[in-house]
Amino acid sequence: MKKYEQLTDSMFYIMAALTKPRHGYAIMSLIEETSNGVVSIGPASMYTIIKKLLKQDWIYLYDNSDSRRKTYYLTDKGKEVLEAELIVRKRMIEIAENGLREVEG
Amino acid sequence: MKQTKKITSEGLAFFEEKDMKKLRKYSLQGWHVYDFSIRGYKLEKGESRDYIYNIDYRFLNDDEKEEYIELCAQTGWTHIASDGDLHLFRANRGTKPLYTDQGTKVEKYAQSGRTMSKVVVPFVLITVLLWIGEIFSSGIVESILFTIATILTVIALPLVWATITIFKNKWKLAGRKGLVTFVSILPILLFCVAAYVVFFVEKREGTIIFLSYMLFGAIGFSYLISLVTLIYQKVRKKAVY
Repeated sequence: MKKYEQLTDSMFYIMAALTKPRHGYAIMSLIEETSNGVVSIGPASMYTIIKKLLKQDWIYLYDNSDSRRKTYYLTDKGKEVLEAELIVRKRMIEIAENGLREVEG
Repeated sequence: MKQTKKITSEGLAFFEEKDMKKLRKYSLQGWHVYDFSIRGYKLEKGESRDYIYNIDYRFLNDDEKEEYIELCAQTGWTHIASDGDLHLFRANRGTKPLYTDQGTKVEKYAQSGRTMSKVVVPFVLITVLLWIGEIFSSGIVESILFTIATILTVIALPLVWATITIFKNKWKLAGRKGLVTFVSILPILLFCVAAYVVFFVEKREGTIIFLSYMLFGAIGFSYLISLVTLIYQKVRKKAVY
């Protein structure tokens, strides 16, 4: 599989939220709710990243019947990228967990 | 009819944050911005409010603009006015910022730099071509080219300066320290070269000599102004306390 540059945290959250069709504000609310308010993405950052993901073909415009609240959805390519990223991030956690276990032990 | 007034901008490329703080101060006094004016902002009188302000640079077509403004409104940022790629927003204090992510903040200045470059690069090219034409022509043609080129140079210098500053803002956010330092000392370097030509070169004619004089004057004058402003502000602060 083609190698991708590592996603930024914000991109990762947004792509994870777009495993279902959602509009910008719904993505923001979901991220904020599921992280108990720890992670929050501002509207300008959100919009810039949505445009970037569209350009990369990682998401697509799912429904634009309401032009003020367009919904977006992950493409197959986007899903692949997210899955690959998930493996990288899982490995990161593993390293930290193992390291901490050694400290404790 | 509502009471209105205009205030001037300090120059968004240079003092974006200062401008936004100034708008907040005016809002605390009950003067709220409602539009851009040619050289700054239009304010109208209302009740005192603790509003914060933010500028965003972004190319948007009508359809995108609607969506973007709605997204900002949902998070508490009211769109005030747009001027081309420039969008001004207001929110209550404590509202989550427009930008939360370093990478996208860099994009903001990259976008604004690209927009500026589209105007400034051709402008500078034309100016340079006119100067080259001036060097290789004579008589009346030379005089005409000289006049036009001089006027264009006077306009081009601050434009180039502003564009470089925007890229500097971008590099600062992106952590490109070397480039930031280089751009910061560039005017001092140019000033020294120009000063050398002005004071130590015997020849008093020719295009290069003339351009050096212009550069010397432009940079020297802008440093003088910032120095005077700085002293004035220091004195005024002392007078207040």
